[in-house]
Amino acid sequence: MSAREQIYAKIKTALDPLPEREPRPVVPRGVADAQWLRDEADDVALFVKRASAVGTKCFTSAGDCLSWLFEQQVGKVYVPDALADLTAKFDGIVQVVRQYSRGQVDEIDAALTPAAGAIAESGTIILTDQSTPDRLAALAPWTHIAVIRKESVHRSIADALAAMPDDPNIIWITGPSKTADVEGILIEGVHGPGVQGCLLV
Amino acid sequence: MAKQPIDTFVAELPPTVQRAVHQSTATTTEKRYRLLGDDYADSDALRKLAGAIRQHALEHLDTYLAQAEESLTARGAKVHYAVTGEEANRAVTEILQSAGITKVVKSKSMVTEEIHLNDYLAEHGIESVESDLGEYIVQIDGDHPSHIVRPIIHKTRGDIARSFEREGLGDYNDDPETITRRARKLMRGKYLAAGAGITGANFVTADTGRLVLVTNEGNSRFCLAPAKIHIALVGIEKVVPSDADLAVLLNLLGRSATGQQLTVYTEFINGPRHQNQPSGPEEMHVIFLDNRRTEVLASDCKEILRCIRCGACLNVCPVYRQASGHAYRSVYPGPVGAVLSPLLAGDKFKELADLPKASSLCGACNEVCPVDIPIPDLLLRLRRRAHDEHVPSPGTPPMEGFALLGSHPLIWRAAMTFGAAKDYLPLDRLPVPYLRSWLKKRTLPKWRGGKFRSWMKSRHGGNGK
Repeated sequence: MSAREQIYAKIKTALDPLPEREPRPVVPRGVADAQWLRDEADDVALFVKRASAVGTKCFTSAGDCLSWLFEQQVGKVYVPDALADLTAKFDGIVQVVRQYSRGQVDEIDAALTPAAGAIAESGTIILTDQSTPDRLAALAPWTHIAVIRKESVHRSIADALAAMPDDPNIIWITGPSKTADVEGILIEGVHGPGVQGCLLV
Repeated sequence: MAKQPIDTFVAELPPTVQRAVHQSTATTTEKRYRLLGDDYADSDALRKLAGAIRQHALEHLDTYLAQAEESLTARGAKVHYAVTGEEANRAVTEILQSAGITKVVKSKSMVTEEIHLNDYLAEHGIESVESDLGEYIVQIDGDHPSHIVRPIIHKTRGDIARSFEREGLGDYNDDPETITRRARKLMRGKYLAAGAGITGANFVTADTGRLVLVTNEGNSRFCLAPAKIHIALVGIEKVVPSDADLAVLLNLLGRSATGQQLTVYTEFINGPRHQNQPSGPEEMHVIFLDNRRTEVLASDCKEILRCIRCGACLNVCPVYRQASGHAYRSVYPGPVGAVLSPLLAGDKFKELADLPKASSLCGACNEVCPVDIPIPDLLLRLRRRAHDEHVPSPGTPPMEGFALLGSHPLIWRAAMTFGAAKDYLPLDRLPVPYLRSWLKKRTLPKWRGGKFRSWMKSRHGGNGK
């Protein structure tokens, strides 16, 4: 008997004697929404509030984003072609790189990549394989800025789950990479970005 | 005097570790409590709903597991099954060897701890590096995690700095930020050199086959982004019916585990990378592992399989706070471990049968459990099983004398009358070890035996009615 057959046979042996099985509970949409969500009128404003609360830096214009990058004196900034129009003014002010490859993992200091969406309730950025030009580009640089279209912001976590895109890899990012493994002290930028940002367009 | 094994561990625990564990678990418990209170009018109802979702999934595991397999296969993932840990380890090794891979990176997974995957891979010439900061430190120290969510809760920054120095990661430096940066740099190289990334899964949804992975560090994301092959080891009990159920479970997981609304990175994976995506695995293997879970499912403790490994029961438990994780002598410590570890031990049940007794049954573990597992009830069922299987219980005082007293009214009344003599006897010098050790730190009050009976008789005009 294969391992698969053995396991299914054992599950059957375990479950068959049950006089009745637990019925599927009704899970009303929104049952796990935070109670303060109903008092919030504007999803985009809520997203900015919640994202800021978890340490995500929010920009509302490409100009602000550029000024900040300039002030931080970042080195190479990766910007894919898909965002070329949006970042037309970047060239000359910061050093823009248009192509990303694995060999540049330690060279690129900041990257802008398009997001697939966002969640207002939790201040979460949603990336997918199809929205992201390169998974490493959105992960390895110290600074990552996700470009979010305002109309792609979901109100709640439940809404985002109900509208999951057909993509083999979806990642929700709620703040910068962090750890509290050493004596419970919070340190940001463990493996992923130490600065997580977003630009709302 | 004979002691329970857990007492021996507590006695040997350095006070610094005990204080650190206590402080950290108390803080997390407080954060959890505050966040749930702020965000929900009735978080208890939500816990109970989550419990019902998990119980339903377990009692229909045949359906949902098959559905998850189908969903994953349809999206190009390869699904394997393993009855034992040995089979799972062999399956991983075969996948790696047939692809000629000798270096892998791992994200934190309790199930791989359970089957000792790293040791197995090392024996077969494959380097497997833990990428979670805490797990990496556990690995280089040849130690064991002492908490489900915070593996090195028992280590100080000084311990870690010494380990890093020993591993050649720079001079002694115990600044947590420096430690983290050094790990970041080291791990970059490991990620890029690895041929495969190995992960667990927090949940698997049957309807879409999505494996859900949550981390705060981003290490699971980095394990997979440069890798050619993704191997996920998943306990068969992790399946939930649909994406919609995750709304309840994810909202409770982060809040219960670390007092966060959501963990920083929540990744949903149901196949190899998209064709337009340059980074990410070309192959995805999911190994569903039994390792006695079906035995637990058939037992009267099946509710423990609802567990989503948040660690809230460890943080709130007065015994865990005193004992720390190693006292549980198994992969899963704390209240969940006191139930799960003896059940997963198979014919070594007797060796861990003391764990269900290391509890005052205060019920705090049940109250904080995001899937409402009745842990105290399960502890009692396991105590009963240990009794039925005649497992010896060192340190338990003989109760036969009290049983005789308590079941014979005549003897009881006589004892109540003559018990007053105890006030005049040097009890601490009697050759009864239990009494001696008890009296070492306590004094008995003056004898008041029999007072209840006389009070009872004097009620309602002395006729006892």
